Amino acid sequence: MRRLAMLGACAAAPWVLTPSPCGAQVMRTFSVSRPVAAERFLHVTLDFGGGTLVLGPAAGDELYGLTLRYDADRSAPIQQYDPRTGILRIGSEAVAGTGVRVSARSRSEQTARFFFSPTVPLALYANLGAGDAHLDLGGMTLTSLEVHGTATRATVDFSAPTHGPCKSATFAVGAAELDVRHLAQAGCDAVKVEGALGAVSLSFDGDWRRDATLTVDLAMGGLTLQLPAGIGVRIVGERFLAPFAAKGFVRTGDTWTTPGFDQASHKLRVDLKASMVQTTVRWMER
Amino acid sequence: MRAGNRPAALLFLALLIPAAQVAAAPVRDGNGHVPERVRRLLLATLQNEDGPTPQAVPPADSQGPAVNPVHLDQPVQLERDLRAALRKPLSATRLTVAGGSARLGDYSVGSAEVVHGHVVVLEGSAEIHGRIEGNVVTLDGDVTVFPGGTIIGDVLAIGGKVHTIGNGSISGTQQLLEASISAAASPPPSIPGQIFRHAAGLTGLLAVLTMLGFGLVTFGRPNLEIVSDTVTHSFGRAFLAGLLGQVLVLPTFGMIVIGLALTIAGALLIPFAVAVYILVVLITTIGGLLAVAHAIGERITHRQLARGVVVSANSYRFVAIGLATGAMIWLAWVAFGWVPVAGTLMLVAAALTTWSLATVGFGAALLSRGGIREHFAGRLIAPEMMTDEYLWATPQFGVPAVKRPDPREK
Repeated sequence: MRRLAMLGACAAAPWVLTPSPCGAQVMRTFSVSRPVAAERFLHVTLDFGGGTLVLGPAAGDELYGLTLRYDADRSAPIQQYDPRTGILRIGSEAVAGTGVRVSARSRSEQTARFFFSPTVPLALYANLGAGDAHLDLGGMTLTSLEVHGTATRATVDFSAPTHGPCKSATFAVGAAELDVRHLAQAGCDAVKVEGALGAVSLSFDGDWRRDATLTVDLAMGGLTLQLPAGIGVRIVGERFLAPFAAKGFVRTGDTWTTPGFDQASHKLRVDLKASMVQTTVRWMER
Repeated sequence: MRAGNRPAALLFLALLIPAAQVAAAPVRDGNGHVPERVRRLLLATLQNEDGPTPQAVPPADSQGPAVNPVHLDQPVQLERDLRAALRKPLSATRLTVAGGSARLGDYSVGSAEVVHGHVVVLEGSAEIHGRIEGNVVTLDGDVTVFPGGTIIGDVLAIGGKVHTIGNGSISGTQQLLEASISAAASPPPSIPGQIFRHAAGLTGLLAVLTMLGFGLVTFGRPNLEIVSDTVTHSFGRAFLAGLLGQVLVLPTFGMIVIGLALTIAGALLIPFAVAVYILVVLITTIGGLLAVAHAIGERITHRQLARGVVVSANSYRFVAIGLATGAMIWLAWVAFGWVPVAGTLMLVAAALTTWSLATVGFGAALLSRGGIREHFAGRLIAPEMMTDEYLWATPQFGVPAVKRPDPREK
């Protein structure tokens, strides 16, 4: 019994006697917004180091806005806008030489809520660090989209059809989990997904406006393609140790094609480069 | 209610309204945030704070504080500059504003007024009924644009809020930055404070290590003693082994993970293996350090005994004395760590010494396989090293003693 008590005391000692390192942490709030004037274009570079990010369309007449809760010891807000060029840099950046803070998630978590005008043509380049990101780009006037994430769990949703000629949507992820929903409603000519390690889910449900090209280059992990029944799909695969589970396709060498591809009202061409990636195709009812 | 109780009651009411609501308030808030207003009013009543007398802030001399509010894209830096410019009394504040002017206390622009240039308001709020053609910055104050008022430019409220009422308008960006709690308010810690903080940290760490050491003596004394003897008898070898071990810790970890990842069953074991590996490295490091403390304490105690000092020679004492000796290395830093250059040098010296001892302990723990193998502990003597003294040891029993020769028997 005495030994047990001593063992307990020894085990508890570090927690009782070691001071908490989180005491000096200072969380601050920064908000910014700007009304729409005569802007014809908004080119956004969004930086967010870590935490929870939410992005969506502005409800009022704001051109852009941000509410940021950040760790003042480790990062600082950024907001640089040039009304002449329509170039905006917004978000937060790490303060140099501050290292990494290890503390309870509830105490250290940074949060950012971004919003952009749905009526002004938007080219968005998002650079995300570690954390959760929820981007709803539905209804926006999107001209191009690029999302880079290092260790991010990101959900990108085109909850409503976008406006404007979207040339491309690129998703480049490191070790991440990426879930893109209603991708058909993005209306982008080309969709590109690059990833090193992680799980990627691309759902092409929603209203199809035009044919699309998808390029996937994944190193390790899993890829799930959710495709609506009735569209023509052609997948050209360059695979290494990458099993491909595809029903409803006719295989010719490294090419998988749905029957009636040439006659389909909308077509999706997929260029798949994968190594050690489990690729799964799921069909959805339209 | 007695008159004396009123301030306490008001303070209680003021504190009841959570400050968090300030952060949650929307940027555009035509009528203001009622709980926040009530809270501020109550606090202002209690503290009898009317703010500084409104006045213009004279420009500083060429070497004095200056800000350029033409771009408000560095609000944190701007806040730092503005707070650094404040003087006590506030009327002594001097500030140069590039392309504009600075004000102290509440500031108002009349409906017929037009202000050209940027406006920086310190320790007060800005009420705009007229027109400002430039950026507006407030430090610890709100910006309110009343009906008919216009700001042709950007607005930044540090420690305040921005309100537009009716058709009051702001053409540019509206920014709100929560006031910094620490910025200029908290002075650097005093020298006694620094010494106390360092001493408290060292005491806490020493107490933790002592408890761990006593636990190790209670539950694993044989292993601790073998590692300790390895430190004593194979010091140089233990240091080299520790150095090599530190270099190989990460590659070994990587190899284990990759090796496990190659098979499905192994991949499932990766989280378990990672936890076990980290635990083993931690135990080896801390256990090794405690073994070094044990060896130091043992040496010191034996010297005391050799001098004739009567002390109890046991492992608890060895560990306690060893750790106290190790702590002495840090005492110089605790006392003089605040000295600009010497303090840093002391810190580096203490850290290097501690690292060396930890390396020796780590190496000794590796050499002795965690206190199981006695090969380097000086306990086993190879046969070729046996001298006649060992080979012809005096038998303790079973052999009759040689009879002393008796001269009478001759």
